Amino acid sequence: MLMPGSELLVCPHCDALHRPVALGKHEMAVCIACGHILARHHSFTVDQLLALTVAAALCFLIGNAYPLMTIDLAGIHTEATVWGAALLLLHGWTTLPGVVLAVSMFLLPLLQIALLLWVLIFARLQRRAPGLRAALVALHRSRPWSMTEVFLLGALVAIVKLSSWLHVVPGIGLWALATLTILLTILSLVESRFWWSLEQAAA
Amino acid sequence: MSDPIRTLTAGLLACQTCGLVSRRVPDGRPSYCSRCATKLHERLPRSAENALAWLIAAVILYIPSNLLPVMYVSGIGGGQESTILEGVLSFWRGGDWPIALVIFIASVAVPATKFLAIGLIVWTLYRKSNWARRQRTALYRLVELIGYWSMLDVVVVALTSALLQFEGIGAAEPRLGIVFFCAVVVATMISALSLDSRLIWDNGAHQ
Repeated sequence: MLMPGSELLVCPHCDALHRPVALGKHEMAVCIACGHILARHHSFTVDQLLALTVAAALCFLIGNAYPLMTIDLAGIHTEATVWGAALLLLHGWTTLPGVVLAVSMFLLPLLQIALLLWVLIFARLQRRAPGLRAALVALHRSRPWSMTEVFLLGALVAIVKLSSWLHVVPGIGLWALATLTILLTILSLVESRFWWSLEQAAA
Repeated sequence: MSDPIRTLTAGLLACQTCGLVSRRVPDGRPSYCSRCATKLHERLPRSAENALAWLIAAVILYIPSNLLPVMYVSGIGGGQESTILEGVLSFWRGGDWPIALVIFIASVAVPATKFLAIGLIVWTLYRKSNWARRQRTALYRLVELIGYWSMLDVVVVALTSALLQFEGIGAAEPRLGIVFFCAVVVATMISALSLDSRLIWDNGAHQ
């Protein structure tokens, strides 16, 4: 049963009903009951969002192809990558943290970037992406478990920790990861209503 | 401030996935969002019970995660296992207090805050309390916001173990504590996700 639904905005945290208002620059809509931020103004066009997503995809590629940090000591060279760190834990009895690390810091960010690319490329062609509904639901569900920023802080802590007695060299991968974190944060500011409007526009 | 109109009292239901507002089906049959096909719930079923169960699991797992070593580091002078708190203390003593603070906040303070916050919210839900609803909802948001930062130590241990592979000079290996620690983070996250903050507002002034 479809209401003239898009006219109402419900706070997901307290269930208060709101009538959405048009937001001006730097404005945001706040729930009158609980103070939750319901919507932020953004003026991104589909083209701009696609550009940000392509940039994120490239950063993800670089961040995983190049080491985050390397150590050269006594003729031995070691390096750390996101995937390498997860693989190391997957061995033996540390499988659980290995799986959580692989999923939350590698697979889900990859999935999110892939889904955003899929949805936005079709939006740019002014067509409805096949499986748009499933893609948007998957984006929503995977968000709490996607943790690129935690990996970034962890990498910085590890560098500072080790550099007190070893010479640790930050790698290109670390810069790519930092940029990826910023890009994903910007993309996460786009409210879900925008994404679902793609479904309605196409329907 | 007067109470706002809420979807339940208006005979409506909001989809928790896409936000679409639907008319409530009166006879209690399961209904699905017409836009994203998510099953619609007035409130998440057994929300407080599930949240409490995962919270108790997390508190139990928290004990071995702090008592067991999370990492083993060997150097020229032999090897040493360390727990999270020992790691924090050694940074503190070594003068690296910013790092000590970051690890302490992410690994000790954040889980403890989550236990207290979720515990408080669940307890007030059982008491059908009307107290400080806005602040309790803000507390819930805080739990959601800080939740996953506790994974920090898992990342640090994994990266350190990947980098320190110099047999005889310096080598690091993960230890069992990190498994429990990761389990604590996952359990508290599931606990927070099962908790439906809309319940806080259900014993409102309109009753």
